[in-house]
Amino acid sequence: MQKLELKNVSKVFGAGTNRVQALDHVNFEAKAGELTLILGPSGSGKSTLLTILGGLQQPTEGQVLINGKRFDNQKGKTADAFRLDHIGFVLQSYSLVSYLTVKEQFQLVDKVKKTGNLDIQRFQEDLKRLGIEKLLNKYPGELSGGQSQRVAIARALYANPDFILADEPTAALDSARVQEVAELFKNIAQKENKAVVVVTHDLRLRAEADRIYQLVDGQISLEKSN
Amino acid sequence: MFLALHEMKKEKLRYGLVIGVILLVAYLIFILSALAQGLASQNTNAFNSWKSQSVILNKDANGNLAQSMMTRNQVETASESNKGEIVGLAQGILKAGNARQSATFVGLTEKSNLRQNVQLSSGHWNNNDNEVVLSDKLKDQGFHINQKVKMGLSNEEYTIVGFAKKAVYNMAPVVYGSIDDWSNIKGVTGDFVGSGLISSTKQSTTDGSLQVLNKKELFNKMPGYSAQTQTFLFMIAFLIIISIVIVAIFLYILTMQKLENLAVLRAQGIPSSYLIWNTLAQTVLILIIAVLLAVVLAAGTALIIPTAVPMSFDPRLIATTAGLLIVTGIIGAVIPMRIIAKIDPVSVIGG
Ligand SMILES: Nc1ncnc2c1ncn2[C@@H]1O[C@H](COP(=O)(O)OP(=O)(O)OP(=O)(O)O)[C@@H](O)[C@H]1O
Ligand SMILES: [Mg+2]
Repeated sequence: MQKLELKNVSKVFGAGTNRVQALDHVNFEAKAGELTLILGPSGSGKSTLLTILGGLQQPTEGQVLINGKRFDNQKGKTADAFRLDHIGFVLQSYSLVSYLTVKEQFQLVDKVKKTGNLDIQRFQEDLKRLGIEKLLNKYPGELSGGQSQRVAIARALYANPDFILADEPTAALDSARVQEVAELFKNIAQKENKAVVVVTHDLRLRAEADRIYQLVDGQISLEKSN
Repeated sequence: MFLALHEMKKEKLRYGLVIGVILLVAYLIFILSALAQGLASQNTNAFNSWKSQSVILNKDANGNLAQSMMTRNQVETASESNKGEIVGLAQGILKAGNARQSATFVGLTEKSNLRQNVQLSSGHWNNNDNEVVLSDKLKDQGFHINQKVKMGLSNEEYTIVGFAKKAVYNMAPVVYGSIDDWSNIKGVTGDFVGSGLISSTKQSTTDGSLQVLNKKELFNKMPGYSAQTQTFLFMIAFLIIISIVIVAIFLYILTMQKLENLAVLRAQGIPSSYLIWNTLAQTVLILIIAVLLAVVLAAGTALIIPTAVPMSFDPRLIATTAGLLIVTGIIGAVIPMRIIAKIDPVSVIGG
């Protein structure tokens, strides 16, 4: 069973008067088959939590566990390889490479990760569901904010990772689209047995979530779990 | 290569400008090398056309063959242990009617081996005294076959019977004639029989009044020769260093501009080795395109340049400089590659 855990994780930036405690002894878990939400106001530490979960930065204190194994002390190539194979990031901003067309963003995944990527037939359905099947030859600069967000989601799905970590994936989407994306995430979690973690302050996603955390000033509390 | 190619395709203008600047620097280097080579050949090409390797001359001439004079005695002793051939050089003025031209007279023996290696562009070799063969550079100045000319200090008239290719010695066009006319033209008497002994192999002498020089030493002793070649050598070396700096600056700016993209790729787990490899491939590609275009441009220039400008496009020299430029350009890629290796996705992407 795929499982992502934070145990007593703290993250401190700066020192002295510049000291910011972005995360304060956070305990967290996300399981395969579940859609996990992290809700919280701006500056509460959501992005920090997500990037630590995905191994982009190390916690000041505490442990990151993937399927019970420590991940926070991995560095360099091992961390890269793990991220490439198991983690799909949808970042809050700059999720796409500006000089590659939408199609080429997917092709790039094939270049570096030769196996385990989605079957293109099956992927077509996801593209349709995300409403981006007609955008394949466009550059990110030619897409609207919402379109790029959907392409970023598709890119993360394409590599078929065990964990999907999405930072504000619905920020630029209209209500109808939010509903579809929420359902898509839910679907992926349940049908494909993946752990999907979504950071948001979009309360419209609550209905689909299996597990909800509230993050305020770096402190976390579990609001709902099945 | 995937990233490198797609990036260049998308940012055509940006990469076009980079290629353009490197192209111009490479072109400048090629033109300078061609000029350097061309100028050097104005000193060396007669001697090179003889296919000779060494020369014995009078020590007092300080290595300047045109100023050397050897007595019959010196020639005879030197000839005992060497197979060199006697030549007589004399710098002087070639006169025809009102025309005056500085030239170097080269007197050769009738059975001269050196002659066999020199190509004539028209006419035939001088078979009698008072016949001369001129450098074909002088053809452009109106000299022609059967014309009567005077040379140096001699009052006799000489008939032009042919024109020779590659006949320039120490910046002056060569007038080939008989060794027997040398003393008249040089204005010496009696005992002096020539300037030196030239051979296509190594020579040696125990005679303290003589000196043996190989080809390179002879050229370096020519007035002005080493000053010219070193000036060019320095210019070219500096240009190559400047081109490394230019490549490094461009690659640095380009890398800084795409830092966000690189951070995104790193966040996705794309290994830095893949990104570094792509940057290297891109650098090599830019350099190859720029240098190839510069070669084409230089070749085009060679076709239209006036013949009065001494330029010589030696394919071997161009290939070497082109190779050197590409290799040094890759050195310029080291800084961006280090930046990429150290990239921290979070610092760029933020929250
Ligand atoms: N690299 C950093 N250096 C210093 N402080 C940082 C850094 N990254 C984040 N912080 C600080 O940590 C706190 C949490 O930031 P974080 O980006 O995690 O918030 P967030 O919940 O994602 O906010 P938002 O909803 O606006 O994206 C903020 O006070 C922020 O200023
Ligand atoms: Mg954030």
